[in-house]
Amino acid sequence: MMDCKKYKKGFAAFLYGELEEDERKLLKAHLEMCPQCTGELERLKEVKKGANSLQEDIENAMTSVDWDTLPMQIAENIFKKEAHPAPESWMEKLSRLIFRPRLKPVYAGLLVGIILGSIVTFMVVRTPRSVMVEAGEFFAPRDFLENVELEIARRDTLDYLEKSQYLLLDFVQSPSEEAAEFWRSEFALQKTRDLLSQKKYINSQLNKFQMAKAKAICDQIELLFYELTQISVDLSAEEIRKIQRLIEEKDLLLKIKLLRRELKQSEV
Amino acid sequence: MEQERTSKNEDVYILVEKIKKGDREAFMTVTHLYQKRVFLLAFSFFHNREDALDIVQETFLRFYQKVSLYRKGKNFQNWLLQIAKNLCIDYYRKNYKKGGELRKENPIDDMNLPLQNEPDPHTFSDLKGIFTPCLKKLAEKQRMVFVMKHYNQLHYNEISQILDISLGTVKSLHFKAVQNLRGLMAPYMGRQV
Repeated sequence: MMDCKKYKKGFAAFLYGELEEDERKLLKAHLEMCPQCTGELERLKEVKKGANSLQEDIENAMTSVDWDTLPMQIAENIFKKEAHPAPESWMEKLSRLIFRPRLKPVYAGLLVGIILGSIVTFMVVRTPRSVMVEAGEFFAPRDFLENVELEIARRDTLDYLEKSQYLLLDFVQSPSEEAAEFWRSEFALQKTRDLLSQKKYINSQLNKFQMAKAKAICDQIELLFYELTQISVDLSAEEIRKIQRLIEEKDLLLKIKLLRRELKQSEV
Repeated sequence: MEQERTSKNEDVYILVEKIKKGDREAFMTVTHLYQKRVFLLAFSFFHNREDALDIVQETFLRFYQKVSLYRKGKNFQNWLLQIAKNLCIDYYRKNYKKGGELRKENPIDDMNLPLQNEPDPHTFSDLKGIFTPCLKKLAEKQRMVFVMKHYNQLHYNEISQILDISLGTVKSLHFKAVQNLRGLMAPYMGRQV
């Protein structure tokens, strides 16, 4: 019974010649001994006969088709579709018009132009420093600039002190009559005015860099010059001697000398 | 036999290479060579001439569209029949199947098709009249395997390639198809005999 079930599974393959030689022989041997399976196989053969009964219809259908022209019709349909694709919409027409292959070099040129233009614009906008340098300005780090400014202030102060020292030396060392004469001269007047204006200029620098000591001395010098210019016109020999003594008492010249040395030592 | 098939495949490959380049003549030659096989499969599946011709047209159109996918070494006939088989199944589902019958919980293999033009046992006396509706009652995969085996006379291994299923499944589907057909035919055969 178990054998029958196993063999029955091979019936379809047996009917259609799909069984291996060994299996076919085994099945045949079983069929000779088993009338039940033989009956079953006979019934299955009716299926095959039934299927064969459609053969006539198939042959009729096959002969009804013109096989010589069918490939041509099919090819016609396919290649016609390729040659004449579906009608274009206005969008497609427009895009085809814009993106014509003939215009390719134009678009390429435009693209290159845009890229180059962008690069040039970018460089011009991005490098204002180089343009400013050409115009005579100079950009440097903040520390460096501060150092430079400090150095300028120091030198200006030195210059001011030097000039003042010479002027005061002239004044102190000369006899009182000559000194009075000296202050009345146009030369001394001009010099003191120059020094006073220079002092105004270095004031801001001295404040900025907190050079308090230099500031104090310079202020004293300034005050002195200011008074001298104001009163020099009618200055008596006595008064001049007083001023000379004052300068000596305050060791103004010595202070100037020391300050100058100090400023020189701190040279950058 | 094997050698003959290989050389045939190589000839077709040359034609296919030409078709890839848009050769119309080569396309027509291939169509001429294989149109009857496609028609036979479609006609025996639908038993309808017009449907079968539609499938032939569509199969060769698909073949032309997919020709670049064909690789040397593949059996060309099996590849083409695979396209035809897919189209048959799609066409069948679209035009023959009543909506809502195909459900995942209802595997195709185990499901019998709705009977169309069911034969009246009293009026049908010829074998063709009995067999045709019985074949239509088979589940689509069983029907496809039976049709490929009986009418296209394909081997099990060829069917397994075309349907992309194992050889064992092909054997099983064929056995079920024959068994079910016998069962469906039995009442009519009994009355006839």
